[in-house]
Amino acid sequence: MIEEKFASGQSFIHKLDPKTRIVAVIILSFAAALCDIFFVAVLYFIISTVLIVMARLNRKDVIERIKPVFWFLLMIWILIPITFDGQILYQFSWLKISGTGVILCCKITIKSITILLLFTSLVATMSIASLGNGLHKLYVPDKLIFLLLMSYRYIAVIEDEYKKLLRAAKFRGFRPKTNLHSYKTFAYLAGMLFVRASFRAQRVHQAMLCRGFNQKFHSLDIYQANRFNFIFLIGISAAGLSLVILEKIWI
Amino acid sequence: MHISEGILSGQVLSAGAVIAVAGTGIGLKKIDYDKIVHVAILASAFFVASLIHINIGPASVHLILNGILGLLLGFAAIPAILTALLLQSIFFQFGGLTALGVNVVIMAVPAVLVHYLFLPLLGKSSKLNFTAGFLAGFFSILFSSLLLGVALWFTDKNFFETSLAIIMTYIPVMIIEGVITGFCVTFLLKVYPEIIPKKL
Amino acid sequence: MNNKKNIIRLKNITFSYPGSDICTLDTLDLEINKGDRLGMMAPNGSGKTTLLHTIMGLCKPDSGVIEIFGKRLKQEKDFTPIRSKIGLLFQDSDDQLFCPTVLEDVAFGPLNLGFSQQDAIDIAKTTLEKLGIQGVEKNVTHRMSGGQKRLIALAAVLAMEPEVLLLDEPTAGLDNRVREKLINILNGLDITYLVISHDFDFIKAVTDKIYSMESGKILTDEKIHIHRHEHIHKHGKRPHVHK
Repeated sequence: MIEEKFASGQSFIHKLDPKTRIVAVIILSFAAALCDIFFVAVLYFIISTVLIVMARLNRKDVIERIKPVFWFLLMIWILIPITFDGQILYQFSWLKISGTGVILCCKITIKSITILLLFTSLVATMSIASLGNGLHKLYVPDKLIFLLLMSYRYIAVIEDEYKKLLRAAKFRGFRPKTNLHSYKTFAYLAGMLFVRASFRAQRVHQAMLCRGFNQKFHSLDIYQANRFNFIFLIGISAAGLSLVILEKIWI
Repeated sequence: MHISEGILSGQVLSAGAVIAVAGTGIGLKKIDYDKIVHVAILASAFFVASLIHINIGPASVHLILNGILGLLLGFAAIPAILTALLLQSIFFQFGGLTALGVNVVIMAVPAVLVHYLFLPLLGKSSKLNFTAGFLAGFFSILFSSLLLGVALWFTDKNFFETSLAIIMTYIPVMIIEGVITGFCVTFLLKVYPEIIPKKL
Repeated sequence: MNNKKNIIRLKNITFSYPGSDICTLDTLDLEINKGDRLGMMAPNGSGKTTLLHTIMGLCKPDSGVIEIFGKRLKQEKDFTPIRSKIGLLFQDSDDQLFCPTVLEDVAFGPLNLGFSQQDAIDIAKTTLEKLGIQGVEKNVTHRMSGGQKRLIALAAVLAMEPEVLLLDEPTAGLDNRVREKLINILNGLDITYLVISHDFDFIKAVTDKIYSMESGKILTDEKIHIHRHEHIHKHGKRPHVHK
């Protein structure tokens, strides 16, 4: 389930320092999220697709990945045009389709896909270990990075335990249905996950003590600095800044 | 329970980010080094539990369980939920980076609230345990959906009806989370009561 | 006998888990001397893991004396320095390997001992090499196979250059290939160790002396005699204790 599908490429993006990529994704995502003009949003969308192409990711996997957002967008397209006020585009008896609403939907659609593509091309292309390393260099508290790495490490272990528990329940004839018995069973399974997680945490903590853990986290720096990082960051910042200026002049 | 990218206004996004950063700071401060592994692995369990799907008639919903996490962790639930949400956006692309702060607030503030509201009721009698668990589950989702509605409403007053519609659709989820959390709490008190914090 | 250097000595150790009136360890005595290669066989729930955790200071006994390297240890802070000299291999490698990548996991101990980043990486790489696991440094730990995880966990312990090794069920869940490898590794190490296992053949292959545990006490060579029968027997192939 937990796969780092995009983390193992060899592209230009993959070779960038995690720190550079994190800063770049923050600049571009926020600039895109705050943009209010459809045409400028399209420009951000183009930048994000360029980055996806540069990262040389499998196109099918990328589409598969952003699928969940389409469901959300579908809901938006159903809800917003009929609940929004403003200039009316169509009217069938009581049902009013708002023009403002439709424009808003277009903007939301392009912006949300853009931000997801930015995240996919720049962040999903690094391993969690590299992400931790990049965050460390950006002065994110060690405790938080430790939580992230440790939590990631044990998701697969806990998920395995969940599968075993569910299998055992199914062997004993459990068939999930809409009834109190099913809910109770799932509640016990979830409870058991928390219990096992807690026991696991005690053992891991003991293992850390045994290996001399002294309340200090060390992070191994595995990325070499190269000048492309700097150039890339300048390029991204320039692109973001010029789009923000463009938008200001437009208004 | 997530709000997607590209909807919220700059003010709402930044307000969410500021509250999330402050809350994470408080939460991290409350986690000492002996407990940090515990918080981390409970966050993994929270992540895995959110993959459990429950049938409601022909449809199905996934568990959220921020109520349970809140009961177990208090303020430490904020960095735990931040961690889980960040991992979710890395692996599944539920939500991205700009709405992360708002999403943390939506999920974690109710978790902390139910900790202080309902934890004192636990451990008194078995009937009360279920009720307190139910209320913790129910109200965590209620508060979450209200926060989600408020985030939309602050973005654009025109979102009012949309917000109401979203809160309505979460009513069945509130009931299911209440029932599940109720059973889950009675289970934990029976098999491993040490996991539930004694004092506030 | 007494000219041997005594490394670990437990005297009259009693331990019971909170809320339980059964003594997991009951006035237990144990001595480990330098160069010992001890094995211990005991049924589940006989307190083996508790014993190892007591030596490491992870369980604090209700009464008794723990002496390690000639020093009497009482509080948490007494145990901190000795933990780097005694390596404990956990039963479940997933408990022990908590870092995202193999290299970071093996380097965790050396970094805690104060080695520089480069030195820690070098130590980690040489240790992995010694155990015959090369080219996996950058791999994500939890995606390794069970056997590889066990060897990496052993590397993580050995990277701290302990003087004594405690192994808790090292062959549980391993296939024969990794098990053979483990036998070769242990026989090639010049280190004092105590192996706890159900696996009689394994213990026989890597140790000189075999103890057993029963109701919280250790039974030494003189009191017990563990062997395998070649004839048909109601206990089958399982090793067992004759009194």
